[in-house]
Amino acid sequence: MDILSLLGSGFAVALTPTNVVYGLLGALIGTAIGVLPGLGPPATIALLLPVTYGMPPTSAVILLAGIFYGAMYGGSTTSILLNIPGEAATVVTCLDGYEMARRGRAGAALAVSAIGSFVAGTLSIVGLMLLAPPLAAFALKFGAPENTALLVLGLMMVGYLGGGSTAKALIMAVVGLLLGTVGLDPIMGTPRFTYGVFKLSEGFQFILVAMGLFGIGEVLVNYERPVAPEVVRTRIAGLLGTREDWRAARAPVARGSLIGFLIGVLPGGGATISSFLTYALEKRLSRHPERFGHGAIEGVAAPEAANNAAATSSFIPLLTLGIPGNASIALIFAALLIHGIRPGPLLVTEQPQVFWGLIASMYLGNAVLLVLNLPLIRLWVKLLQVPYRLLGPLILVFVLVGAYSVNNSATDVGIVVVFGALGWLMRRFGFEPAPLVLAMILGPQLEASLRRSLIYSHGDLGVFVERPISAALLAVAGLLVLLPLARALLARRPRGRLADSPS
Amino acid sequence: MARRDAAAAAVLLVAGAVVVWQAGQLPFGTVRRPGEGFFPWWLGVVLAGLAVAALVDAALGRRREGGEAGGRVGRVGALLLALGAYALALEPLGYPICTFLLVLCTVPPRDRSTILPSLAFALATAGGSYLVFAVWLSVPLPAGPFAR
Repeated sequence: MDILSLLGSGFAVALTPTNVVYGLLGALIGTAIGVLPGLGPPATIALLLPVTYGMPPTSAVILLAGIFYGAMYGGSTTSILLNIPGEAATVVTCLDGYEMARRGRAGAALAVSAIGSFVAGTLSIVGLMLLAPPLAAFALKFGAPENTALLVLGLMMVGYLGGGSTAKALIMAVVGLLLGTVGLDPIMGTPRFTYGVFKLSEGFQFILVAMGLFGIGEVLVNYERPVAPEVVRTRIAGLLGTREDWRAARAPVARGSLIGFLIGVLPGGGATISSFLTYALEKRLSRHPERFGHGAIEGVAAPEAANNAAATSSFIPLLTLGIPGNASIALIFAALLIHGIRPGPLLVTEQPQVFWGLIASMYLGNAVLLVLNLPLIRLWVKLLQVPYRLLGPLILVFVLVGAYSVNNSATDVGIVVVFGALGWLMRRFGFEPAPLVLAMILGPQLEASLRRSLIYSHGDLGVFVERPISAALLAVAGLLVLLPLARALLARRPRGRLADSPS
Repeated sequence: MARRDAAAAAVLLVAGAVVVWQAGQLPFGTVRRPGEGFFPWWLGVVLAGLAVAALVDAALGRRREGGEAGGRVGRVGALLLALGAYALALEPLGYPICTFLLVLCTVPPRDRSTILPSLAFALATAGGSYLVFAVWLSVPLPAGPFAR
């Protein structure tokens, strides 16, 4: 079947009334949580996972994906109107977006952000649609050594690109891998680290860990440091922008779309890095870099395009290789697993309705977000006025009910509370929970692939470097380890020379 | 920040050592046929190694990134205690009562004039969520003394 007929079958799935409603709901919930500071997409997806249990898998993934990319749209609203980023990926939008709002150009900033996001999101879906099937077909050639190398590279990239300290991200990844070892051994099937507790033989349930770390953890962080949002007092007019605005924004949107797409494909890359990178690039390319930070429209257009493109393309490693590149995608991975669907190279051929239905729903979701968002800006601004001291308890109640409903057990509520405390502590000490969650979900796969590789090769470690794909992947992973060391050494050299030089 | 980093690294070093010790109790196998303890043992070693590196960094005062000091830690501690009590009391006391008390803890009245709004918010949240989840969505939440 050619790509257009497959996409047509995807639209047949996505356009069923149920899926249209879920897609719409996901996009709206995503925008709302993107607007609200202190509640991110991973937390929301974690909260809603139990709700998706009773849904068909395609509907579940359409709802959750809608939340993820909807949040990118919503996050920019708070950046522009409040100077508070709703999402990490929209931090950079504050720099020029808020300045534009202060100068009475909030409408133009919101318009460029929304339309730029739509263009970038749509281009990225086209890229996803064209790139994913051949990549999945290529990944089918992978054996255990290639899978091991790929998972190692994925985890290294999460540490390297995930933002913050690489060492801390790697530590969290190791802790996540260790949590993944609790329960039944993936090769022998014997219990491990269960200490006679029957509940531990199933291992830590990913959903409870995610709800605790992201749901309760975020509430505790906000409880400790309440944010008092103050919407910039400006008239939101000119929601289509001027011709000059669009002339200035055209090229940054195109560049942001391309860079966002490419970075989103990398595990650990994604929306945040791409938005910062494109902002820096636009500033460097600009003839008037001094305007950046003082309301340059390019400083809104490029990062907003990039974060939306990256959010969409981050589905590529999930759908083709079975590797979630960020925490939200890891939760969507978990949702698919709960429904008995394993994301990976076989998904495109064995579950075409899920793959193509999701792609078609993304086209629809993007259009819906564009159509609904600009007219609803005033509603989102109203939503910002709900104080967190009222919102926080509602989120808590939702998490606790969600945790209880997983197995109808109060013990699970306790587990979520423990992981919530851990999530709060981790943030206080500068450790991000995302690498832990990703590693936890990938851990059993990594262990099984590694041990199978060693068994098949009779303990010959050369199996990882004799096979070209595995060798190439490990070489890149090795470079990621060596790069920070080389950078640190280079950073010291000039100082050494200065010290040695005669005064 | 370096002191806090050092404390975190020390805890992780101990955790790494405990993992190595515990994984050592499991069959390690050989490189030809790795056993149940093989993977976690190596993870414990890597964790301990990373923790040592972080400890050295903190000792040299190099790592000063991430993490936040200050804040209202006492409030968080109190909320965590309330959440712990919630998990313990959920089945004996039931969802409506526990949720009412938890929400009241999170939105306590600031003065006499806010007693009623706080009580009303806690009651509406507990009652409303029970109606939505237990009655409408049929989540079998424990009803406590309200059970028939």
